[in-house]
Amino acid sequence: MTTAAVEEYLAVAFRLQEEEAPVTVAALAQRLSLSHASVSLMVKRLVQEELLGRQEGDLRLTAEGERRAAEVVRRHRLAERFLFDVLGLAWDDVHDEAGRWEHVLSPAVEERLDGVVGRPESCPHGHPIPGREAALPVELHALSSLEVGERAVVVQVRREETTLLRYLASLGLLPGARVLVEQVAPFGGPLLVRLGSARYALGRDMAGQILVRKGAR
Amino acid sequence: MERLRRGRRHGGPVIALAGNPNVGKSTIFNRLTGLHVTTAHYPGTTVEVAVGTANLDGVRATVVDLPGSYGLGAASEDQLAARRALLEARPDVVIVILDATNLARNLYLTLELLDLGLPVVVALNLMDEAGRAGIQTNVKRLSEALGVPVIPTVAHRGVGVRALLAAAVQEAEAASGSDGAGPRRGRGHHGRHGRVGRGWQHRQGRQPPAPHYGADVEAWTDGPLAALEATRHEWAPEGLSTRGLVILLLERDEEVWALARGSAAGQDILQRVEVLERDLGRMLRQPPALVIAGARHGLAASIAAHCQRRMPLGRRLRDQLWRYATATATGIPIAMAVMAGLFAFLYYVGGFLSTQFDRLWGASASPVLDAVTRFLLPGQAADVLLWGIDAGINASLAIGIPYVLTFYFLLAILEDTGYLSAVAFLSDSVMRRLGLQGRALVPLISGAGCNVPAVIGTRILSSRRERIIASTLVVLTPCSARTAVIMGSAARFIGVGPAVAILGVATLLMVGTGFALNKLLPGRPGELIMEVFPPRRPPLRTVVVKTWVRFKDFVVQAAPIVIVGSLIMGLLYETDTIWRLTDPLSPVVEGWLGLPAVAGLALVFGILRKELALQFLVALALIEYGGDVDNLRLFMDPRQIFVFALVTTIYFPCIATAAVLGRELGWRSAGAIMALSIGLAVLVGGVANQVLLRV
Repeated sequence: MTTAAVEEYLAVAFRLQEEEAPVTVAALAQRLSLSHASVSLMVKRLVQEELLGRQEGDLRLTAEGERRAAEVVRRHRLAERFLFDVLGLAWDDVHDEAGRWEHVLSPAVEERLDGVVGRPESCPHGHPIPGREAALPVELHALSSLEVGERAVVVQVRREETTLLRYLASLGLLPGARVLVEQVAPFGGPLLVRLGSARYALGRDMAGQILVRKGAR
Repeated sequence: MERLRRGRRHGGPVIALAGNPNVGKSTIFNRLTGLHVTTAHYPGTTVEVAVGTANLDGVRATVVDLPGSYGLGAASEDQLAARRALLEARPDVVIVILDATNLARNLYLTLELLDLGLPVVVALNLMDEAGRAGIQTNVKRLSEALGVPVIPTVAHRGVGVRALLAAAVQEAEAASGSDGAGPRRGRGHHGRHGRVGRGWQHRQGRQPPAPHYGADVEAWTDGPLAALEATRHEWAPEGLSTRGLVILLLERDEEVWALARGSAAGQDILQRVEVLERDLGRMLRQPPALVIAGARHGLAASIAAHCQRRMPLGRRLRDQLWRYATATATGIPIAMAVMAGLFAFLYYVGGFLSTQFDRLWGASASPVLDAVTRFLLPGQAADVLLWGIDAGINASLAIGIPYVLTFYFLLAILEDTGYLSAVAFLSDSVMRRLGLQGRALVPLISGAGCNVPAVIGTRILSSRRERIIASTLVVLTPCSARTAVIMGSAARFIGVGPAVAILGVATLLMVGTGFALNKLLPGRPGELIMEVFPPRRPPLRTVVVKTWVRFKDFVVQAAPIVIVGSLIMGLLYETDTIWRLTDPLSPVVEGWLGLPAVAGLALVFGILRKELALQFLVALALIEYGGDVDNLRLFMDPRQIFVFALVTTIYFPCIATAAVLGRELGWRSAGAIMALSIGLAVLVGGVANQVLLRV
């Protein structure tokens, strides 16, 4: 039994639990495109190694199993981010590609990768990246505090009104958006922010509500 | 919208034009429709919708120019207006115009339109500019990825516009099923084979392709879909796909939610949506609306990356110019110079043209109108009528041609070059204290030339609150006619110092009113989120058409009011009724302001045209006192001249301004603004009188 295979099983179980779907041999077999027979054989060994447990008839990741699964899923989703954001792979291609990366990344590379893609909260499909809570706390700044020429990644918009959030979203000012402050108007005036090929003037108050992580490409 | 109904009766297709701001949408609209355009304010908004007719080999298509917007969610006034107009117009096809230099952001709106299930044709505009910026687009790939026809265009040169119209008409026919009930051939099917296209569903028949956002997003829409399909006719608007409705519900679109609340079936759907929303929120740790927006941007970005290649180019002159225009050190001097130029142009060139026009009118039209009217009517009736058709039409055109025409030409250039957004960026913090956005600087500066175009120019502001504040401040700005009165009375007879003092008082009053209104009116100035456009050469044709449409609007809608006002003045004057106003006005004019009775009457006539106040003063004084009264000093002392000039500067706008105020803001707000200006004039004039009496 290879490490990669174990990781594959754990990751699938993790995703099923995330979706609050029951983890069963049938569900695993379907997701992994494997036969029932081989899946139940493997499940037996995972239960022996105390990575999977049984709970009311369904399977459930043990604490250890969940920890290892989270690592794999984290590497997978970080890889997806990198493939999508940096290499510009198509939306629907990144999942398969990242499936190969998830087993080979060393902790050091994983950490670098996380930095390069700007310590994202979620994968390009919107799933949370596990282990984010455990990661080093990132220093957040208000966009309005940035100087001309500084680059940053939007982490959060500190506002509740959905209309405003939606308006910002329609412009692409979403968590994960990479911005560059190009000008700052005098006398507490707006900031000129570059996002992709567009430039937006954002009032100081507005920019104060947008939390960013400095640097990052 | 009346035009729309008529258009529909003709049987031709209805085409809606959608697009982000500043992508050349109005240029394409003008190319498609020529000069046959009507504009309508969208009810409850300051947003305009223009409707015109396009011809293609005998097919008459009605073209609706939707307001430019970044999306169709109910996220801002422009987006809401665009969405409402879209649903109300029920177009047979939507042409969405994309800026080839900023494809990824522009595709967001396209995906939203496809989500709603509307038949779409894409115009990939600004191809020339994209080429210069080193961006190459594979049009065929883009068409395959989107599953809709894509026509490359260079709108300002008319390239591709005819092909675009042909594609739109064809698509409209296909969508309405007039070419047979079978599935559409060609487009859409490509989608399945393209790389990005794998993510696209294409349903058979009339349904346009729907973007596919990956399994996660798609799985949600399936849940309530079945129930919705069965009961949607009970509450949902027609013309949208069921999938589009689900997405709108998940996006928490207030309008669709409100519609759904209205029926039992709708409420049932809302419950399902709420459960789904909670589950998804837990799973994705983000509200579904944002996840959908994120997914849309993701898909848009990946389609753009798939279809475009960028050649690295050196720093371009355009970017450099743009940097100078927005950087504080260079931008502020540039802005001051441009605004001074705008003012000078309206003040001197507009003033010169206005005088020349008056002279020309007096030499040619006046004698003819005079002779004809006197030939047809007896003495006094002809005198009264001439006030209307001679002085009234003269007044409308003397404002319309030199000021409205030139101002709109200049404003259109400022807007279309993108410079307006740079000014707005730099002046925002100052204007904000007056309750306005940076863009308001342009109408305010223009107001010093002529109030009429400046009031119309407040349309560039986005909220009603800002338009009311800006219009009030414009009305309080001494226009060139009022400056002429100050020069002809105060400066000429009592010196330059008092004349400058009057302008100073007017400016202080304007700024003070701005502060006060910002504090008193409900609400706050909207937060600034605005795209700053790169500099661009203005498409001359569009500028000319835009200017012409505005001018026509002004003449058609304001001229009647000016003519009627002139007739009333004529009646008052020719029948000597005006003198009866002396007594009722006396406590204010003679008592509080300390002016001679004739000055009060001159102020009443000043309503017609401010520069005439002085002429009337002289004419009435002639009747009252006889002899040579060209010298105001013969019947007014310096204090009275000062107060007269001050009150003329502040009080009531002229009839033409009143006409546009009423039309732009409604008569209630217009009345309030005019009452405020009269109140301020009487108050400030009286205080000045009392103070001067004591020193």
